[in-house]
Amino acid sequence: MFHQTPLKTLAMALLAAGGVACALTTGFYGRELITEIAILAMLAIALDLVAGYGGMVSLCHGALYGAGAYAFAAATVLAGWGGGAGILAAVLAGGIAAWAVGAVTARTQGIFFIMATLAFGQMGYVTVFDARALGANDGLPGVPRLDLSAIGLDLGDSRSFALFCIALAVAAYAFAAALLRSGFGRTLVGIRANAARMRALGLPVWRYKAAAFGLSGAIAGLAGALAAQHTSFVSPGLLHWTVSGELLILVILGGLGTLVGAVLGAAALVLLKHQVSGFTDHWHLVVGVVLIAAVLAGGRGLYGGIEHWWTRRRMPAAPAEGGGA
Amino acid sequence: MDAAFWIVQALNALQLSMLLFLLSVGLTIVFGLMHFINLAHGALYALGAFVAVSAAGFTGSTWAAFAAAPLAVATVGVLLYLLLIRRLRSAGPMNQVLVTFGLIFVFLDLFRMIWGDIALGLPEPEVLAGQTGLFGVVYPTYRLFIILLGLAVMAVLALVLARTPIGAMIRAGVDNDRMAACLGIDVDRLFFLVFCVGCALAGLAGAVAAPVLSVTTDMGTGILIPTLVVVVVGGLGSLKGAVAGSLLTGFVQTFGAVIAPQLAAIAIYAMLAAVLILRPAGLFPARA
Repeated sequence: MFHQTPLKTLAMALLAAGGVACALTTGFYGRELITEIAILAMLAIALDLVAGYGGMVSLCHGALYGAGAYAFAAATVLAGWGGGAGILAAVLAGGIAAWAVGAVTARTQGIFFIMATLAFGQMGYVTVFDARALGANDGLPGVPRLDLSAIGLDLGDSRSFALFCIALAVAAYAFAAALLRSGFGRTLVGIRANAARMRALGLPVWRYKAAAFGLSGAIAGLAGALAAQHTSFVSPGLLHWTVSGELLILVILGGLGTLVGAVLGAAALVLLKHQVSGFTDHWHLVVGVVLIAAVLAGGRGLYGGIEHWWTRRRMPAAPAEGGGA
Repeated sequence: MDAAFWIVQALNALQLSMLLFLLSVGLTIVFGLMHFINLAHGALYALGAFVAVSAAGFTGSTWAAFAAAPLAVATVGVLLYLLLIRRLRSAGPMNQVLVTFGLIFVFLDLFRMIWGDIALGLPEPEVLAGQTGLFGVVYPTYRLFIILLGLAVMAVLALVLARTPIGAMIRAGVDNDRMAACLGIDVDRLFFLVFCVGCALAGLAGAVAAPVLSVTTDMGTGILIPTLVVVVVGGLGSLKGAVAGSLLTGFVQTFGAVIAPQLAAIAIYAMLAAVLILRPAGLFPARA
């Protein structure tokens, strides 16, 4: 069950403050990294919401992210809509697609759910890859950024855009946390623990699962819209299953089912990739070895480890030690 | 489009099915026996292809390459088992997915370091070069060899699983591993054995696929998804499921590309989605 513990608040505040500080002080390249982390963190929060709390380990969040990016690009570049309408289209595209996937796959479990989401994600990838209207495998260039000049913000400036993305990532966290604290979130955790019992209590289990997946997809779609604006370009690669796979990895490495861990994992992965690709061509090898070592070492994930250390420090009279005294 | 055209397509489909079968059978039985998810199975297939290319270059014989690849991949399988997989047995599916996903990354870069980024090729054995007439059509002999090899492996495995004590033990382990252990069956040992045989078959699949496809570092990631589709469509843990799943996948993919080229890429995913919606545990799950 989700609790917004003081440690979580502290960790999120530190992460957000760190992001803002970097955005304000570093150069262009640093700001690009911060923006990338903020967007990836949003996507990771979306995945942790369903995987960590609903037990729905999805391999199609890359596709939902891509759906949002393409919806934004199509709305602004092809249809000529404004950025606001584009973002709305992205959120709806991600949300509706995810709701449909969630509704259809609600009966499957475990590896079958993973494979079913993988299939739907790859269907999306292949569809976009072949769609001439969407630029097929060349993608769509020239995606504009949201125009916020009305409130005095120029998102064309990399600093403003980085801060904008951080703000939206924090908002996504707050939304997910509020959702999980509500009755809906408690029900979701209940379904993960024992779906049969929840069904026996008279709950329409599939409807909860589909709704949770839809909301998660809406967040993923929003992250996709930001990614499209960040690089001003969308390509089918956004939807590929390896994006979903990497995303799942960073959520688990950060700490599945903690929300904060998703953000930590996103930051760690982007920085690790950046650091390693600085001195070797073979960053896959290093990331792979780090991944294997991290799993063999513990398995709580980054945030899980921090939380474990924190609670042990706060409560020195743990049962094991108290018993000996 | 006459009958000859469809016969050729059916043979193509059969050939793809047999490659998928060689890959998926080890995966599905390991899965059924221990609920172990090995995402690096595709990387072992690529390793088989690379070893075959090197062995053929070294000995000058493609037959030697076909023998060397399964042995080498099975050896790597033993190392993986002793170093990593044994520890992961009770670590839960999430950790298994993570570690084997990490292995994909590691293998990918190791292949690039050892064999480079350019596509390699393997010549087919001289005996099998050329074409053979069959059912009134002319078909490459080597592709017929792949079909026959797949059928032979299928027959041997069916016989071993159905008729030998070790086959009975494997079936018992898939059906209920704890009960099998209580009856004195060393399930860990079985798992190790099945894992090694699965690795060897993946290596063999890579080696025999090498003359037909080009050998590239990403061939393993490319085949991983169709293999998982076969395993899930067929149902976990059963030979029958692997046979049915690979035939279905091979035929849907091949005929999808012929009948509706614009929808071809979607076809196998649509089939997977349809199967999972109608039969959430696959067509022939080992455990009812």
